[in-house]
Order: sequence, then C-alpha cells, then structure tokens
Amino acid sequence: MIAIFRNSLARFRGQILGWGLSLGLMAAFLTRFYDTIANQKDNYLKLMTSYPKELLAFFATSDVVQMFTPSGFLNLEYFSYMTLVVGIFAVLAGSGLLAGDEESGALDLVLAHPVSRTALLAGRCLAFLAAMIAILALNWLGFILAVPGTGLHLTAGELALPMLSLFGLLAIFGALSLLLSLLLPSQRVAAMTSGILLVASYFVNALARMNKDLETLAKFSPFHYYQGGLAIDGMKWDVLAAMVGVSLLFAILAWWRFERRDIRVGGEGGWSIPVLSPRKRGRQNNRNPEAV
Amino acid sequence: MPQSVVILSKGLEKSYGSVRALRGLDLEVKGGEIFGFLGPNGAGKTTTIRCLLDLIRPNGGTVRVLGMDPQKDPVAVRRRTGYLPGELHFDQNMTVADALRFLNSLRAGKADWKFVLHLCEHIDLDLHLAIRNLSKGNKQKVGVVQALMHRPELLLLDEPTFGLDPLVQREVLQLVKEGRDGGATVFFSSHILSEVQEIADRVGIIRKGAVVETADTGALIGRTLHRARVRFLRPVEASVLETLPGIKILAREDDRTINLQIEGEMDRLIKALAAFPVQEFETERPSLEEVFLSYYEADRTVGN
Repeated sequence: MIAIFRNSLARFRGQILGWGLSLGLMAAFLTRFYDTIANQKDNYLKLMTSYPKELLAFFATSDVVQMFTPSGFLNLEYFSYMTLVVGIFAVLAGSGLLAGDEESGALDLVLAHPVSRTALLAGRCLAFLAAMIAILALNWLGFILAVPGTGLHLTAGELALPMLSLFGLLAIFGALSLLLSLLLPSQRVAAMTSGILLVASYFVNALARMNKDLETLAKFSPFHYYQGGLAIDGMKWDVLAAMVGVSLLFAILAWWRFERRDIRVGGEGGWSIPVLSPRKRGRQNNRNPEAV
Repeated sequence: MPQSVVILSKGLEKSYGSVRALRGLDLEVKGGEIFGFLGPNGAGKTTTIRCLLDLIRPNGGTVRVLGMDPQKDPVAVRRRTGYLPGELHFDQNMTVADALRFLNSLRAGKADWKFVLHLCEHIDLDLHLAIRNLSKGNKQKVGVVQALMHRPELLLLDEPTFGLDPLVQREVLQLVKEGRDGGATVFFSSHILSEVQEIADRVGIIRKGAVVETADTGALIGRTLHRARVRFLRPVEASVLETLPGIKILAREDDRTINLQIEGEMDRLIKALAAFPVQEFETERPSLEEVFLSYYEADRTVGN
C-alpha cells in the first residue's frame, strides 16, 4: 500500500502545485482588499444594502454588516464560492482515482502484481487526501503571508479553521465521485454527475436562504453544513466530524463495490447508462474484451 | 490437485451481458511446460487469462492456479506469477527504470536489479528512456522485462512478441525458453503460429469460449493433414488415387501435375504412386496453421 500511496501522491504533484499556488496567490491578493473595504465601510454599506436581499443571500450572507468582520469578509469574498472552484479538483480527482487507470488499461498491470484491491484503493484514497491537504495548506500559507499588515488580525490557527471546513466538504464530493466512478459506466459520466451534484447542492443551499420551502431539501446538501469563513467565529467540530463520516461512508461503499466488480479492460467505458439505454435483441450491455 | 498441474480450469463460464465469452472452458497446464493458447480475436484468450488473475470473476466453473483459487487468494497467486497484458499502459511521466522500479516495489523489491539489467541488455532496452517517447515495440520490451524480472513460477503472456522486430522476437522467445528451463511454467496466447510451433510443448486451441483441442505440439502436427505435389512424366488419369482412404486431390496444376491432401500415413499413397510414371514428388511439412484453421473452416463456410 505504501508503494501505491507514494506513486499516487507523486502523480498528484502537478495538481498540488498548480491548485495550491494559484489558490494561495488568490488568497493573498484578496486579503489585501480588507483594509480598502473597511476604510470605505459607509460607502460599501450603502452599496450592499441597495442590492436585492436575494443576491446577498445567494453569496452566503444576509447580514451586510457581517461583511466587515474578518470572518464575514473571508466568507463572502473567498470561501463561499471557492467551494465550486476547488470542488472541480475533488470531483475530477475522485472520479479518476481508479476509473482513469482502469479505462486506460493501466490498472490491469498494477493489479496483476501482489496488491490487493483494498490496498490499492486505500493507497490511492490516502494519496488523494494528502493531495487535498497539501493544496489547502498552500492556500492557507497564502493567507498567513498576506494577513500581517492588514486589519484582519487573524492567527494562523484561526485561518486554518475555514480550511478544515472546506476539507470536510471536498472530502464528501471526492469520495462521492469515487463511488460514482465505480457505479457508472465511465469516469466521464461519474465526473459529470458529481459536478452536477456539486453545483446543484450549492444552488439549493443558496436558494433555501430566500425560499423557506427549500430548507428541508437544503439539509441534504453538504453546503448546508459547510461553515466557510464563519468557522473563524466558532468551529462546529461535531458537524465537521459528521462530514468526514459521510465521506468515509462513501469511501466504504466504493470499496465494497470495487471488491466485487470486474476490472474493465482498457478502452471500455462510455456514456451509455444501462438503465437509460433501450434494451435491444442481441445488443450487449457490457463490452466483451475479446470483441474487435 | 497434484502440484504438477499449475493451471486447472473446469467448466469455466464467463458472460458479458448477453455475450458468452467462455462456455465451459476446460484447461490443464502442467508444471514446467510451455503451453501455447491459440485462438483468433474474440475466442476467449484474454478473458481466460484475466480470470486466472482475478481481474474478472467467472460466472461458473472452477479455476486453480498453482493450487490456489485466484478469487480467494489473489495476492498469493499474483506473487508467484508474471503477467504480460495484451495491451500495455505505463505512467507516461516515468522513465523505463522508474516504471520497473515501481512495479518491483509492488513485489517488495523481489527482483534482482542485476537480472533486470541482464534482461534489458538481452533485448536492447535503454532504461533511461522516457515512457512517453517509447515506440510500441519498446513498450512491449518493458512489459516483457517486468513479467520476467522477479523469476516467477508461472508466466502468463498475452501476445509476448507483438510489435517486436524479428531479432528481438527471437531474443524474447529465448528468454521464455530460459524461463522454462529455470523451472517456470509458461502459458502464452498468440496469433503467430510459427512461434507457438517453435517453442510450445503443448498447444490448446480455443474456439468460441471453449478449448476444442489440446495436444503435444509435435503430435498435433503429426496428426494433421499432409500435402503432396506430384508431377508425372506424361498425363495420367490420377483420379483413382482418390479411391484410397484419406487421399484427396486438391487441385490439378496442369494435365501432369496434381496437389494432394493426405490424412494419416503416407505409405498408402507412395505404394499407389508406384504404378504411375512419377517425375517429381514433393511433400510439405504440415503446419500448426492448418490444424488451427481447420477448426474455423466450418465457421468460414457458414459465414460465406
């Protein structure tokens, strides 16, 4: 498993640097705006109160004054929408953890070695988690380097709290993508489905702030439990633990599925979803690897 | 199961949806032999090998590899086998050395690196090359090395010389023979009948998911149809030869030359030809190809 972990983590190094440095730079850039906004508080208040309440609710705030607090500022300007941006990484990485190599045919060679499916899955999942932590760490570093000299006055520990909340959210979508990649016909379908669920969850949760009828549905959205920048004011550790628990549940289901299914041959995997495909006489639902 | 039988399958079944890839496949491979598995695309060769490694799970029947059930002890089976897939895919960001080291790490570093270097030298493979820049043939060489480098007890090779030039093919076949001489059992599938004929001790022919023939390579060829070309000094009425059991005139090149097919011993024909003014008599060494194709002649006839 260690060899699998090291190899998988090495394959993530480009993404760690790309995502991590980009997010770190963005964090540093946005942080410098706090003082500007704080100094222009009255003007911004007038501007924000002129916005429709629905728009404010959509960007995770109903209280415009909160925007001028450190936690509110970071939540509105960064952590509210960053979930969708970094969520792309979680969805693509999660769906490609196994299905990517399976569809390319590379998984056959690895599993022909004395590596159990459990060890392979565990090694790759741990590498994914490590990559996510590394990306968020670089992001966090961007904040730490930029905050001194601003009016934010936040410690490194306080700045880590929104990162933890973000980690919980990304873990859910990464594990869900992994599970879907083992249930659906291909990595592409799994990534597309996970992406739709990511965006839909975000919108349902946002719309629920405007429409009370959606509150029950919003409770099924992971975004409902995501604190973002507001974690600085008080981290809900039990909620974070529950989010990690849900991601673990998805990972266990993925393991259960992976242990039992055939490994697809290289080149297999398409858009056809068996349930939706019309059943025709003589049509094969699964590709015969011997067929040319 | 006696230890002398390395691969044993009985009634192996595997379906992909409505397509039956294996239909009650019975197979027995003895320890220390080179077993050639012949069949065209779609016959079930790759499916059989993938069942042996627990990459796919059969729908019925039993299979044992080195005395173990691959589904119950997949790691133990793979620890003692070397596998060369029909299609090779490596991490494009690695060099040849990196790829081999990674695969060796999955075996807890079992392979002796000096032996790896020896294999690479044998087949002219540069360890420093980047995988992304390798030709198909060179990738195949990497595949051969990774299959052999840990000196496994059982080699499962899917088209081992595919994409290789004739010189390297010969080297690879030599390595396979050396593996067998070192005590390994080799199970390989191939379309190249000449190489199967050259190195296989026994041959199994698979057709539509079932083994239709298994025999020693020499005996299989010996049982097969012979061909003869006879040229007479003058035109003769040779149709009387067809009254002999097992003799068939395939073609008449001209009024003095005929091509014959002989099933069984040649003695009957030779004695019959003594009554004719024979100018030339040539026989063709029978090939495995004819045996192989004969199992598919019925399909082609139906197809036509």
